[in-house]
Amino acid sequence: MNLTREQLLVSYRTMRMIRSFEEKLDELVTAGKLGGFLHLYAGQEAVAAGVCRQLDERDYVSTTHRGHGHCIAKGVRVKAMMAELFGRQTGVCKGKGGSMHIADLDAGMLGANGIVGAGIPLATGAALTCKTKRTGGVAIAFFGDGASNQGQFHESLNMASNWKLPAVYVVENNGWGEFTPTAFVVPVADIAVRATSYGMRSDIADGNDFFDVYEKAGQAIEAARSGQGPTLLECKTYRYYGHYVGDPLNYRSRAEADEWKTERDALVRFETRTVGDGHVESSELRRIDTEVTDELEAAVSEAERDPLPDPAAVLEDVYGQE
Amino acid sequence: MGVAHKLNDDLGAVCTYRDALHRSMHDAMTRDPNVVILGQGVDDHKGTFGSTLGLAEEFGAGRVMDTPLAEEGMTGIAVGAALNGLYPIQTHIRVDFALLAMNQIVNLAAKYRYMFGGRFEVPMLVRMIIGRSWGQGAQHSQSLQSMFAHVPGLLVLAPASADAILQTYPWIIEHHRGPVISLEHRLLYDVNFRVGAEAAATGDTPLGARVVRRGGAATVVATSIMVLEALRAADHLAQHAGIEIEVIDLNCVSHPDTRVIMESVERTGRLLVADTSWKAYGVCAEICRIVCERMPMALTAPVVTLGMAPAPCPTAKVLEDEFYPNLRRLTQELATLVLGREGRDVPLPDDASMADVYKRFKGPF
Ligand SMILES: Cc1ncc(C[n+]2csc(CCOP(=O)(O)OP(=O)(O)O)c2C)c(N)n1
Repeated sequence: MNLTREQLLVSYRTMRMIRSFEEKLDELVTAGKLGGFLHLYAGQEAVAAGVCRQLDERDYVSTTHRGHGHCIAKGVRVKAMMAELFGRQTGVCKGKGGSMHIADLDAGMLGANGIVGAGIPLATGAALTCKTKRTGGVAIAFFGDGASNQGQFHESLNMASNWKLPAVYVVENNGWGEFTPTAFVVPVADIAVRATSYGMRSDIADGNDFFDVYEKAGQAIEAARSGQGPTLLECKTYRYYGHYVGDPLNYRSRAEADEWKTERDALVRFETRTVGDGHVESSELRRIDTEVTDELEAAVSEAERDPLPDPAAVLEDVYGQE
Repeated sequence: MGVAHKLNDDLGAVCTYRDALHRSMHDAMTRDPNVVILGQGVDDHKGTFGSTLGLAEEFGAGRVMDTPLAEEGMTGIAVGAALNGLYPIQTHIRVDFALLAMNQIVNLAAKYRYMFGGRFEVPMLVRMIIGRSWGQGAQHSQSLQSMFAHVPGLLVLAPASADAILQTYPWIIEHHRGPVISLEHRLLYDVNFRVGAEAAATGDTPLGARVVRRGGAATVVATSIMVLEALRAADHLAQHAGIEIEVIDLNCVSHPDTRVIMESVERTGRLLVADTSWKAYGVCAEICRIVCERMPMALTAPVVTLGMAPAPCPTAKVLEDEFYPNLRRLTQELATLVLGREGRDVPLPDDASMADVYKRFKGPF
């Protein structure tokens, strides 16, 4: 393991923050304290954390409707995200974007989009900038299995491969697209094979194993940075909650979900391995758990007290300016 | 044949917009074996917000097909299937997602008949649902009827009631041999309507406008859920100011019923247009064009228009409230249109909008 103790703790903190953030949102919506159209990322933490641990401030990510995890992992401030969800002036997008549209260019987050597949060419374009300006940066597109059926996915991969762009396409195969099993609409077992027709490298990672994602993303990012072109990295994973908050989940079996949530849980596996190997103490992880809980409580109570946007802002930022 | 007959049997029955949609889908599948339904999630437990529920079980997966996230390709497939004999009904759970299919809809479906000298027909219905509320935001809430209606070759509907659906859907599926775009409003799905309560269109087809309330003080031409808001505003003004407003449900956006509109405007002399979309280059602008080209002197006051604020839809509640046209604003505008300055003294409704409908709405599916 080439991660220092400090890096391991930060990685755990990222995953714990994502999990707790999503659990908190579920609790708030269920209690009627928060409205909105929310898609939770819980269960897939190892993907966002594993990939983003390999990135630095030169790099960019684009994400989807299920984007909270990528935002947190790429360093968007949790407090500003919470304020955004509460529709506050202090929100990271001033209360105009909400859950499906969190973006923070300062953190290299190019935006969550509610149009499935739309972020894939955006990351491709950001990779074009990195290459053209020789910044040394790479761009990551995070998206789901369903998105890999969109033309934009195929068009992007084709160009990125042709132009040898510093991009990595991370497809998080969680087995479902809304209420449709992936197998109903994707005729191949591994989405990774779709790279072949574009002459692109591909890899498959266990999306619930932080270390497997970290290692394979590292190779893909290294290849992208060194001018060898893009990779399609498929991460096999599972979403714990329904498609959206409020989804009664009556279309998938409990046993299926339980298996993922117990034996394959990303946080449990991380802990078993790192504590088992003596790299970190479980007491350190518990301390992080507490810190995360406190930080989220504070983010919620601040967001609740933060000012609402000025109604006149409805007409601000519509058009470009000189 | 049996459609009108069947409707008569149901006169007076209470039916939601969703029931009317489900019924029209079911009946189309029963009547014509060439009708197929294609769309994301049409066969799942939500069944396109209930409108296609159970149809896959009844008619088989070969006729009710769940489709992948591939809007443009799937639309092309539907167009191709329409060319040689199927009648595809395609669904988009948001209007916004249909934008990915714009090429097939605008460049192909709309032009196929004309471009090939009338040798082809593209009979198909594309249902698109307008999202609203619950922080749907900029990419899940657009109401793009005028964008489609701008294009010759597309017949565009915005049904505002269960009657509008029960009268128009069976008719277009059976008789109209071209592509039809219908924009259904998600918030109407749960609303109860009394079947046969709305006047039918007066022309040869059920596509025309419907005068849903008679009155002489002013004419409101409205689309989709704004018809309901207009009826509420009209009732409020009748009660609190003794003003009788005429309300017209436009129903067909691409072929506005000029006869019904002009007849009313000539009588009232005052016009307010209320649309679910942006005002510029849209239904508001188009209805004004119709009046200006025919008889501008019929107007005794400038036209008033109501639509969404000229911006993308924000998510914060305070901004969303500002963004959408609402009942209070509509009532205020109508009162001043009819009474001038004195209209400002008319008491406004307590609810800013159709709060009961919006409150009952619990989440996006
Ligand atoms: C263009 C477009 N079509 C349809 C939808 C509706 N929709 C939202 S999420 C989703 C499923 C996405 O599945 P996947 O890409 O696997 O991501 P996941 O939700 O599993 O994270 C669908 C169909 C949409 N948002 N955008």
